[in-house]
Amino acid sequence: MTWSLGEIEVLARKATKGAGYDWGIAEEAGKAVRWLCAAGLPGTDVLAELLTLNDGRAYKDCCPDCAGAHWQARDGVLCPLITGTAICDRAGMLAQGDRITLGKVAFPLLLVPYIASASDGAGRAINIEWPGLTMCRADRSTTIDATSEAMAMGSCDTVTLQHAKTMTGTRVRRAYRGDISEQTRQVLADFAHRTYAPDTPESRLSGAGAGLSDND
Amino acid sequence: MQHPEHDMTIPPRDPAQVMRLARMGSFHQSRLSFMRILLRRLKSEHWTFEQHLFNIDARGVGRAVYCAHGPDRSYSLIAFANDLPPEKRSDRVIATEWDATFTLFDGIPSEADLDRLQGNIPKQEAGRVSEKELSVSRANRSVRLWEHVVTALSEGRQPDTAKVRDVGYLMRTTAVYGSGKLGAADREMIAERPEFRAPFQVEMLSVFLTRGFVMDLVEHMAHQRAPDTAVPLDPDLRRCFGIGNSTGLGMAPFMVTHPVLINNWIAAKETALARVRSLPTATQDDADLFCQFSARAVINADTWTSSHTIQIEKLTGLRRDMTKLQTHLKSADLTTDMPWNRLWLWAEGNLTLEGQEQTASLLLEPYGDLVDDLSECMDADEQESWRIDGAMPVAVLKQHIEAVYDWALDIDWTKDTANARVWYTSEEKLEPRIGARFEEPIEAYEQPLCPGRDAARLYNDLCACSDDLVAEVLLRAPQHRHILRRVQIAARHPYAEIHDNTIDAKMLPIDLLRAKLSFFGACHFDPRSDRWVRINMFKHAPFPHELANTSAEGWAYPPLPESAQ
Repeated sequence: MTWSLGEIEVLARKATKGAGYDWGIAEEAGKAVRWLCAAGLPGTDVLAELLTLNDGRAYKDCCPDCAGAHWQARDGVLCPLITGTAICDRAGMLAQGDRITLGKVAFPLLLVPYIASASDGAGRAINIEWPGLTMCRADRSTTIDATSEAMAMGSCDTVTLQHAKTMTGTRVRRAYRGDISEQTRQVLADFAHRTYAPDTPESRLSGAGAGLSDND
Repeated sequence: MQHPEHDMTIPPRDPAQVMRLARMGSFHQSRLSFMRILLRRLKSEHWTFEQHLFNIDARGVGRAVYCAHGPDRSYSLIAFANDLPPEKRSDRVIATEWDATFTLFDGIPSEADLDRLQGNIPKQEAGRVSEKELSVSRANRSVRLWEHVVTALSEGRQPDTAKVRDVGYLMRTTAVYGSGKLGAADREMIAERPEFRAPFQVEMLSVFLTRGFVMDLVEHMAHQRAPDTAVPLDPDLRRCFGIGNSTGLGMAPFMVTHPVLINNWIAAKETALARVRSLPTATQDDADLFCQFSARAVINADTWTSSHTIQIEKLTGLRRDMTKLQTHLKSADLTTDMPWNRLWLWAEGNLTLEGQEQTASLLLEPYGDLVDDLSECMDADEQESWRIDGAMPVAVLKQHIEAVYDWALDIDWTKDTANARVWYTSEEKLEPRIGARFEEPIEAYEQPLCPGRDAARLYNDLCACSDDLVAEVLLRAPQHRHILRRVQIAARHPYAEIHDNTIDAKMLPIDLLRAKLSFFGACHFDPRSDRWVRINMFKHAPFPHELANTSAEGWAYPPLPESAQ
């Protein structure tokens, strides 16, 4: 059974919110996972693992300090969803040719869609790499050269972002459907479930506002 | 959006005037409604239609396939008809069985496709479909009218026209799911096809074909009951049947969660109105055409019934407005000195919101050549508008908030009435609902559907902080990320944001529903509560098999009596 990308985005967004992130970050996480699945990359799997790992972690512990060219978390490991949004918000810096290195970051594959968005927004070629993976984005086209270990990597000590001078790797072809393993689906569905309000008899009737007969 | 060849002496209306819930809740269908866009295309491209399969027994159980053939592709409505016990008939999303279920199929289905879909479509949300399916929907019979029509036809009589007029449809769709729901094809798979570029064309095509199926089914059932005496419906009376729809809160958040798309819909209609108002003169033919449509709008208002207090009052106003308009037209100069702008200003000064918005739609009717091209501006690339500009100075962001959300900054958010509601998603059906913040334990589940309050919170924070750039604000205070994105979108798209408090104690969700449904092309809005509305779609439209030999224009108002034509 395959999934529509819309379903994947909604599930990823709700799961991210359910795991404790703010709505704005969750919205971009949904789009990021959709982008990865559309590129044939295991976006839902890494999201499920990240949310499990970061469940209950405070924002301030895993957000980057963006003051210099080396970004790291105050307290250990950077969250790629938060770091990704910070990169997008600073796309202009990269456009001017700066190089940014990230300290230890969890599931770096999740950074890739944010780099694509930053490149599209700034109109500049950007390259991201860590051991085993290089991805370039230029002119709305992506190339990637990666081992499956590097894609699934749970954490990486150093990730580098910089202006891309050449495109290396295989061009990513877009897909229109995604697959989710049952295990991953269950993890994400459990997180998403936290965003749903338990029903009460009152809410069943008044919340949706029906109550009149439809048998007419 | 403004074409150089169009003189726009009169600018489009101010978003602060248009984007109020009370006015949006008074919108009417127009030339730029999605079902009218669809029929214009089907007609101009000479689409053909066929009943590919109709295998339904005397109890009304079986399946049918209707094909629509366009210049490049074919699509098929696949219908599964059911014999539903009355106690199971519910329009609500909690229903598990329906009188009929449907999918719009990309191409022509094989027997294997039909068998696969037979196991899924009748289950609706509990089933799964594939990228070959473009929509999933269901419909229930109007018990009031169905039996009456079957009985009459089976006895060789036409049904009672007053009864037909009162209900208006034989089946009422509830949900019509598209865009990747339940595993169906995502919009991006088909958005490049010219026939689906305008919004909701898949859903409208599905509903257009569904209406034809329902009429065939009722005639078939009458014939099954009494093969010797049964007659088909008179074609003129047949066209008086639309297809109903019953819509609840599930649709309401859409108006908030798609700001760029909504902007494009409203901007297209407002630009159309501005173009017509800017015309320096009008021909006598155009003036006559406007008067004709106005007379038909009188009939539309007269035949529009509702049992809901709010709508009854609005309808009283609309009928009075239409009478005033008729009187005004008798003496007004409709051809010289910017006639339509003068008429518009008269409407603003003399009519209720219902009447004003009806007049806005009527003004577009004579001017297809001037406004129909705007239908090409109503889709949206929502991905591109999503990115936040982190380099924007905080001072500029504050100016945008002051400009777009001035109404929200004026609200006293410490008052309970301003925060009375919470939009949330229910665990049971995963559907949007609205509840009382201070009476139910739901605040922890709040969805971000209250831009006014959130913009005011962001503004207060910006006034107290020392950040220079948006990127710094967002790193420090990620809770503002959602609304900050909206502020930047609204700063670029004037009609993106509703200028009203969507969590106020007095907010009416039906206003959100009506605004959206009017762009679909619905008529005869009949609220069942403040958060639930019934409508009629494609009423008076030609049927698929009639389209080749009839006009695709002008059907959206009831015809004048023959004596007046």
